[in-house]
Amino acid sequence: MTRLRELSTGTRVGLVMVGLTVLLAVIAPWISPYDPISTNADNALVGASRSHWLGTDQYGRDVLSRTLEGGRFALLVSLLATTLAVLVGTLVGTLAAYHGRWVDAGITRVLDAVLAVPAVLALLLIVSVFGNNLWVLVLAISVVYIPAVARVVRGATFPVLSTDFVTAARARGERSLAIIRREVLPNILDTVLVEFAMRASWVVLLVSTLSFLGFGVNPPTPDWGLMIQENRTALTVAPAGTLAPIVTLSVLVVGLNLAADGLGKYLGVDRARRGVLR
Amino acid sequence: MRTTPVAELDGLTVSYRSGAGRVTVAQDIGFSLYAGRTLGLVGESGSGKSTVARTLLGHLRDGSRIDAGQVTVRGEDVFALSGSALRQLRGGVVAVVAQNAGQALTPSLRVGAQIREALRVHGLPADDDRVTELLRLVRLPAPETIGRRYPHELSGGQQQRVAIAMAVATEPTVLVLDEPTTALDVITQAAVLALVNDLREELGMAVLIVSHDLGVVSVVADDVLVLQSGRAVEHGPTPKVLGDPREDYTRELLDAAPRIEGVPAPEVREAHQELTLECQDLDVRYPRAPRLAVSDFNLQVRRGETVAVVGESGSGKSTVATALAGLAPVERGRAVLRTGDDDLHDLLAPARARPAAVRSAVQMIFQNADLALNPRRSIADAIARPLKVFGRVSGRAETRSTVLRLLDEVGLGPEFADRVPAQLSGGQRQRVGIARALAAEPTLLIADEITTALDVSVQASVLDLLAELRDRRALSCLFISHDLAVVRNVADRIVVMKDGRTVETAATAAIFDTPRHPYTRSLLDAVVEPGSTHLPSSDADARVVRLDPAASLVEASEGHWVRDDEGAVTT
Repeated sequence: MTRLRELSTGTRVGLVMVGLTVLLAVIAPWISPYDPISTNADNALVGASRSHWLGTDQYGRDVLSRTLEGGRFALLVSLLATTLAVLVGTLVGTLAAYHGRWVDAGITRVLDAVLAVPAVLALLLIVSVFGNNLWVLVLAISVVYIPAVARVVRGATFPVLSTDFVTAARARGERSLAIIRREVLPNILDTVLVEFAMRASWVVLLVSTLSFLGFGVNPPTPDWGLMIQENRTALTVAPAGTLAPIVTLSVLVVGLNLAADGLGKYLGVDRARRGVLR
Repeated sequence: MRTTPVAELDGLTVSYRSGAGRVTVAQDIGFSLYAGRTLGLVGESGSGKSTVARTLLGHLRDGSRIDAGQVTVRGEDVFALSGSALRQLRGGVVAVVAQNAGQALTPSLRVGAQIREALRVHGLPADDDRVTELLRLVRLPAPETIGRRYPHELSGGQQQRVAIAMAVATEPTVLVLDEPTTALDVITQAAVLALVNDLREELGMAVLIVSHDLGVVSVVADDVLVLQSGRAVEHGPTPKVLGDPREDYTRELLDAAPRIEGVPAPEVREAHQELTLECQDLDVRYPRAPRLAVSDFNLQVRRGETVAVVGESGSGKSTVATALAGLAPVERGRAVLRTGDDDLHDLLAPARARPAAVRSAVQMIFQNADLALNPRRSIADAIARPLKVFGRVSGRAETRSTVLRLLDEVGLGPEFADRVPAQLSGGQRQRVGIARALAAEPTLLIADEITTALDVSVQASVLDLLAELRDRRALSCLFISHDLAVVRNVADRIVVMKDGRTVETAATAAIFDTPRHPYTRSLLDAVVEPGSTHLPSSDADARVVRLDPAASLVEASEGHWVRDDEGAVTT
């Protein structure tokens, strides 16, 4: 498969950044020094010390523990929502391109209509109506991003459809889904993968934005967006409480972007031309 | 007679970086270009002919470098020139015409403006008169007004003429033509080549023409240099090299070139009597197109017979193929297919509505083998798919053995099964395409321009393979081509099409011996082959054959039908 040596330095740095954030979020419950939600009023807003490496917030909760655990929710939502959005978006995009004419025109108009609605606004509305449970968020976010994915995939599908191997499959009388799966998908997989990495970084930011606005995670639960919102008033007294989640969030998003970029360049060079089958 | 050369290549060796090592693309190449003379650079793809030609412009592809030798134009070493001097050389002293004029012209600029730009870049007067003069020089119709058109409003041949006008605008010393006619049909090709000859005489340029086609070189070049994998094989005056080749490789190239003159007509093969395919009055129209792509098309193909459909681009010949494969809607008419067990099937339904027996009975082989195979799937996978779709085999082991048998049948070893298309050469890919078509066990094989993208030697072997398979399996074959010379050796009968209509249909020998329609005659006149020196006029529009909408096909002699347009011989 992908040989690490062939990747550029930027891509490798990006992958390490993403990998590190995800790894920390996964093992957080075992390595956090304190319970992230236990309060201690006597110890509020202290600076960095040996017992609290990053100090505490206004309720005396350990900032390091909260930062470590704060990514779990956002990452889980992002992973689920991005996967769903890319899967459905790819299906919709390829189907629209394959069937063309009125099917394509109809689907594209609907996609455009959804694209025209500002993402944050739509999510705020959905969350305030249906509540902020995990699946509501996942569904809402994927609905918001499906049109963007579908349009990109649709564009990538057109050149593949005009090739003779698709014509041959049509002449064999194969069904549209069989043609899409066998002939089209392997040839647009690079676009889909890059699309996944790009969307993931947007979704992470979107989830954190929601939490920051108070529509994401319910307060005692640690979350980066929520932490920034809670601690920003104490920025001058105990900066670590705001800066730590900002840094981790940035590391993740910058990492995702670097990885997506590098992956795009790596896959953009046609692997088929190099004779790499798998 | 020889004066000093205007450009010279001396012991030129070029290599490029590939992985860890270097690959030599040109090895010790040397030639001289003289004013008013044409040198033809001939070779198959990968022979380094384009690389060599472009060194005259001081251009090397990224990662390439000159290991030895030098290129001098008018006494100056081009690779030692400064940036501004090199820009003056390019276009000013050495001009190039690229293969595909459709891509060489900017689609959003009027062609007159593009010619004006070529003049202005080199500080030459660029008024309307000069542009008109250049358009007249390249024999474009209505030179006063055609400059106001956009490239897409011109035909392929006219686009190539505009590209030539841009190249000669600066009255260059050397004109480099890189496969200038490969994308054109035969009639346009002949006219463009004649134009190149005229311009060389009028402007006294030295011309370097790069081509894979010995016929093209034969009609325009005074001298020929044959290249094989970066090495010069043979170099000398054209009549000598092509008439009495000294090297085996040149002889091979000459033998492989399809010919019309000087070779005996293919023997008439015993035809089976039962009809495989019968079309009556087919009309095909693409969705919402104002004009029919094909009208009143009649065709009968017997079992084991090969019928060629010949015509220029836009004549509707490929549309016939797509319609029979069920991929273009038939507006009117009747098409019946008889499969092996004497079942009659209607061929008008779209592919997805046809029963599996019909879909497997009609198989296509495509023009561009690069695009005909999914680059992400192995060869075995590509061939196994029709086996599976049509239920020809069951189980993995049987699939595998059938795939290997089919590969063997098209002359490929079992080691090819697990490769991907990128690891195959063009000819091998086309063989895989044939194997995939055979996997469905077809009755009718539709071959759509299958040799256009191949080198002559490969082309010959693919045609031989097709003929052999056709005889062994008693396949009926519909062979679509723009090239009469290719068709001559494979077809039993020929249908000549123009503007969606059949203009002449007859047995192969009859078409070549007594062409009755003026269009067929101009097609035959335009064929250039090694050894021919004569070209029709450079003025393409003088020989346009117009079809009379009221004309119809009449039987001039037995089995020889011709459309009774003006100029047709019907008795």
